[in-house]
Amino acid sequence: MEQFVKLGQDMALLWSNYAGNFFDGSGYLGGIRNTLILALVATVIGCVIGLVCGILNTIPYTKNDPPLKRFVLKLIRIVVRIYVEVFRGTPMVLQAVFIYYGLPYFTGNAVQWPSVWAASILVVSVNTGAYMAESVRGGIISIDPGQTEGAKAIGMTHVQTMLSVILPQALRNIMPQIGNNFIINVKDTSVMFIITFTEFFAFHRYLVGVNNMYFPSAAIEMVGYLTMTLAASLILRFMEKRMDGSDSYELVQADQLTMAAGTYSHPDRGTPFDEHSKEHREKTRQMLKHGRMRGER
Amino acid sequence: MGNTILEIRHLSKSFGSHEVLRDIDFTVQKGDVTSIIGASGSGKSTLLRCINLLETPTSGEILYHGENVASRGVNAAAYRSHVGMVFQSFNLFNNMTVLENCMAGQVKVLKKSKAEARAHAMEYLEKVGMAPYINAKPRQISGGQKQRVAIARALAMDPEVLLFDEPTSALDPEMVGEVLSVMQALAQEGMTMLVVTHEMAFARDVSSHVVYMNQGVICEQGTPEQVFGDPQRQETRDFLSRFRSN
Repeated sequence: MEQFVKLGQDMALLWSNYAGNFFDGSGYLGGIRNTLILALVATVIGCVIGLVCGILNTIPYTKNDPPLKRFVLKLIRIVVRIYVEVFRGTPMVLQAVFIYYGLPYFTGNAVQWPSVWAASILVVSVNTGAYMAESVRGGIISIDPGQTEGAKAIGMTHVQTMLSVILPQALRNIMPQIGNNFIINVKDTSVMFIITFTEFFAFHRYLVGVNNMYFPSAAIEMVGYLTMTLAASLILRFMEKRMDGSDSYELVQADQLTMAAGTYSHPDRGTPFDEHSKEHREKTRQMLKHGRMRGER
Repeated sequence: MGNTILEIRHLSKSFGSHEVLRDIDFTVQKGDVTSIIGASGSGKSTLLRCINLLETPTSGEILYHGENVASRGVNAAAYRSHVGMVFQSFNLFNNMTVLENCMAGQVKVLKKSKAEARAHAMEYLEKVGMAPYINAKPRQISGGQKQRVAIARALAMDPEVLLFDEPTSALDPEMVGEVLSVMQALAQEGMTMLVVTHEMAFARDVSSHVVYMNQGVICEQGTPEQVFGDPQRQETRDFLSRFRSN
């Protein structure tokens, strides 16, 4: 029990000294700010990359298309495939190092990264994009192909079909995936300390290097990350509900064609085949009574 | 010949080694209501989908006002905007309301203004009796109502010919009537229609031409009186007799 009290005291001590300021980027709160900005910007850019890859990957082609178009489309698919496999298949922390130090290396130090922000956003976005590309592809193929046909049948092109019919629905379906990616980004941006990006976890590393209070600081980090991800989950749920729209609609006036029982018109009306005709009812009654129609052998 | 809208010549379609359509020939004149009947798997739907280029024909020609649309380099989207299609499974856009469904094509493809598209869409929604439901989403209305919206959506594009792919096959029996009565009204107004159907009463009473298909070929065609009243081929008689038994 004493341990808990001590932990509480230590955490309070750390917080009162190093809480920092959310807006000027200092202390714990500043780290939280940087983490959130990086995660948010990278998720948005990543989603755009994913959408573009997903759309490019699902452009249909038929045997009737000119060979050049087919060649280009196949090439695009291969390029997207390689991009996805490379960035999904290597650790993000390694990608960060690779890209951050790769640029000066290849240009003989002529070109440096303008800021660690630019490098971090690029790495996390490209990484998110690789995951989103597959999610978007899944979202697109989950929309029943009939709707694509419906759109084509009224003369829409592939881009029109995608933008006005398929993507709005696919986007709704992949919202949980986008949320997943955002939450993963909130946590995984912590590896960006490797290229000296000062987000939430980097501040912890800096601080414990100074005062050795490893565990209390880690506890603050735990609470901080959990608060961010829980808030993100709540906001995402709310957004999903908003996207679903209202379940109710208003009738503008009464519908004349939908029948109230027995009042509709149909081609059989007035013939013995009309289910509501006397003959048909009599026939049904007879069949129920005798098992078959009278006079039928 | 000025009244010929579509001319199908020697159309064939295979899926792999399976030949679904063989050497189909027929024409659609302005104002024709052609019913295509036949057993399941006889290629009726494939024929319709080929006409709308949703399937690419393996060989043969589809002449639309004399221009072969089945050849390479044809703008399929532009052609499809003149040829409406109503599907068995409705294929409404689930992310749009009934009204938006009928406006989307006009705004995106025909580049009409929203107000214009809305007025035009309302005209047809009124006609199919769905005007009260303009704010509903497709998931909130019944199958018959969906199909009526799908018909209004196709009509709103002012197509020259309207293709129906088994429009009532996915409906509950009590909803078939409401869709058929809309189609009957269209036929009486002189709309050019090509209908794949299992509703023999519709084929017999409403259409001006009947095409009977069997195993990928046109087995018999003519007026309803000829095909239903005096079928020449044994296959046709066998097929029709199955519908007479009740």
